[in-house]
Amino acid sequence: MKNFSKSNKTLLIVFGLLLILGLFAYFTMGQTSFVRTSLSGLTIGALYFMVAAGLTLVFGLMDVLNFAHGTTFMIGAYMGWQFFTNPSFLFGVAPLLIAFLAGISANTLLQVYVTQWKIDESKREWIKRGLILMALVFGLIGVWGIDFLDLAETAMVAITFTTNPLSELSPQLPLAVFWYRPLLMLFSGALLAVAIAGPGDKTKTLHVDNAKRGWIVVAVLIVLTIVSVLVRESGPEAVLLMNADLRFVLSLLVGALIGAGFGAAMEASLIRPLYVRPMYQVLVTLGVAYVFKEVIQVLWEPLAYQMSRPPFFSQPGKADNLIAWFSTHNTTVDILGVTFPSYRLFIILLGILMLIGLAILMNFTRFGMIIRAGVQDRSMVEALGINVRRVFTLVFALGAGLAALGGIGAAPFIPVQPNMGDAFQLQGFIVVVIGGMGSYSGAAIGALLLGMARAFGDYLALKFSLSPAISEASTVIIMAIILIVKPSGLFGKKE
Amino acid sequence: MAELQTQNVKKQKPGLFKQNQLAIIVLVLLILFPFIMSLITGQPANEGKPKFWEGQFINFFIMAVYAMSYDLLMGYTGILSFGHAAFFGAGAYTMALWLTHFAPLISSQYKITLPGGMDITTTLLFIVALLLVLIVSILMGLFFSGASVRVKGVYFAMITLAIGEAFHILSKATDFVKWTGADEGLHGVPVPLWINPTQHRLRFYFMALFFMVVMYLFLKRVTESPTGRVFVAIRENENRVRMIGFNPATYRSLAFVTSAIAAGLSGAMFSLWNMSATPSMTSAVTTINALIMTILGGVGTLIGPILGAGLMQIFSQFFYQWFGARWPLVFGLIFIALVVFLPYGIVGTYRLRKQGMKAGWTRFTKQFSAKK
Repeated sequence: MKNFSKSNKTLLIVFGLLLILGLFAYFTMGQTSFVRTSLSGLTIGALYFMVAAGLTLVFGLMDVLNFAHGTTFMIGAYMGWQFFTNPSFLFGVAPLLIAFLAGISANTLLQVYVTQWKIDESKREWIKRGLILMALVFGLIGVWGIDFLDLAETAMVAITFTTNPLSELSPQLPLAVFWYRPLLMLFSGALLAVAIAGPGDKTKTLHVDNAKRGWIVVAVLIVLTIVSVLVRESGPEAVLLMNADLRFVLSLLVGALIGAGFGAAMEASLIRPLYVRPMYQVLVTLGVAYVFKEVIQVLWEPLAYQMSRPPFFSQPGKADNLIAWFSTHNTTVDILGVTFPSYRLFIILLGILMLIGLAILMNFTRFGMIIRAGVQDRSMVEALGINVRRVFTLVFALGAGLAALGGIGAAPFIPVQPNMGDAFQLQGFIVVVIGGMGSYSGAAIGALLLGMARAFGDYLALKFSLSPAISEASTVIIMAIILIVKPSGLFGKKE
Repeated sequence: MAELQTQNVKKQKPGLFKQNQLAIIVLVLLILFPFIMSLITGQPANEGKPKFWEGQFINFFIMAVYAMSYDLLMGYTGILSFGHAAFFGAGAYTMALWLTHFAPLISSQYKITLPGGMDITTTLLFIVALLLVLIVSILMGLFFSGASVRVKGVYFAMITLAIGEAFHILSKATDFVKWTGADEGLHGVPVPLWINPTQHRLRFYFMALFFMVVMYLFLKRVTESPTGRVFVAIRENENRVRMIGFNPATYRSLAFVTSAIAAGLSGAMFSLWNMSATPSMTSAVTTINALIMTILGGVGTLIGPILGAGLMQIFSQFFYQWFGARWPLVFGLIFIALVVFLPYGIVGTYRLRKQGMKAGWTRFTKQFSAKK
């Protein structure tokens, strides 16, 4: 018992403080406003946690300050929202992307043959550049002429279950015109793969097992390409006609997966070459955030969209209590005398589920063990023969996926717009600083603290007729206090 | 024979002019620019096209100082700060607040005249405003360095980001709408008549040019002084600096204060030039602009940020015409390409490759002379 209290001193102190403050607030505010404020605090905290969890893992493991995290949050929201209301864009783009990926992932197998070519050393660089240029040209021809804007077109408020669900659907190019594009993308990816594999570079070696694994990956991706080409026209309709709740769950998955893919692609292509220059990694993530915010604005205009809630959370009326809600699925629930939107409860649940999932992943799997070890001492993990590079990519993907899941989870109750991730990213940074880098539990505590601070700050601001901006700015003060007490955050590793 | 000797002497110790040939030529060109423009277009230097181009250059001068101040932190001292817009905005808001709310109040009640009967109240108030900007900048610099004295590296970057963003939120908070105008900011700041940028564009042009040159010389002096050497040493190896007996925290806050002064003054100039102070001046975009200008031109040089500011001015002017409203997309792609392929910026890469380029150039010219 003594050991427990000693090793969890900070945790106990934080909870003790929260308890005291909570009791104080309870008796001064009265039950109704207390419950309402703490519930909205929990909602905000859950969202902060979803953003901060990825951020803290990425930072703790590889010291990358990811400024594109808010953008990932936003991309997740946009993708999930598109899947929910008008999946024709996603279905239209998927074959091209997957084909390109299939081409690129061939680089490990190609390496076996390509490196054996007899090429003069002085010409290697030029051949590489030529290949990359050709890949670019083929890729451009592959996407030239597709009206992406038309595919992406969606109404400001998509009404999904009252009127015809297919009203949003945009027409796809017919297969007879489309078929050559995935092939070109595949070819472009393969050319790039040859360039990456290093033609004639005999210094590169490859284990036979890896080559075998490469075959499987390429085969799977090519099969996926063919499938996605075939379902391109029928898929969106089928998705829109399916049960809206199921579609929402699927859109959560799709958003998270696309976010994870985005993270992995970013790490592999832009972050990886820059591990020797950490400052430039930060700049690259800034650039990525900048570019993708603009891309989203090109596709969907700089507007704020409203995603409708799935019917599971939007039956009209008010449920008397949580248990009654499970049979009625009303928009709002009565909790201890407070009318609260039921969707917000789902967000709290999503945050808790994510925390549990992360805890299981980190504590009971080999992957989690590697991450924890890597946070402690990266070079030692590398010395033990673990491919840290791959772990980096996976962790980046995991973090981005979590943020994207948060984004699509938040989409039904905050406006979907290009800068929706920025505020969350900033608060995510503060959460990470408070909780300590690399500690997901620290991020959880930090998110809880910050969410509560925001909610109660807003309450106080309202009471003293100030604007909510004051409470937003005051989170910085919390951060400053914690840093003065513990410079490495509540649960961070000591420098 | 005598000629040869003098040449040798010259080679040993080049004069001020020879050493800074290029800089002086550029400076002279910049001074003559309004008149050249008015000669070309046939319009007086204070109207029409020359006026427009002077405006572009004024913006460039001010942003160049701002970029240089950022480079003093990032390039020289190795501090990655994401709260730089707070300095810029603090300068702008101090100037604008003083000129809108306090200066008219004072000048309506008191009159200060020289013995000759000349009214110097507005001039004095303007000088007071500059002093106030200085004081606020110093305080801001101390605040930033003090708030983050115990942390380093990327932690530090996050904290500066958070503090900077807190200032941004405060600058557009509706609680101070009476003073700061909240979201809209302060517009139509009563700038003293004698430097009003719309009426006396040419005068303002020279003022901005003078400002940039003075700040450049000041920052150059700082970076070349022993203190500046310590800044660079902190960037290279902080532990070693501590071992030698310098306190890195002191020097870091010194760098912060110097940088804050330059940024605050440029912010004040910017608010005079636009006759406004808006929350966008304290936003993260303003910080990122400084970062982009610095990276573009070259980290760790003073000329680099100036060049970067100039390029940025051109980009923001013409990219809109070329690419439409989504020009930042192209700009972002260029930025990523720059960071990946040209990490030392234009000036840095030039300095790295200077020897190779020179050798190539002489080979090139020799080829020609051989053919002749």
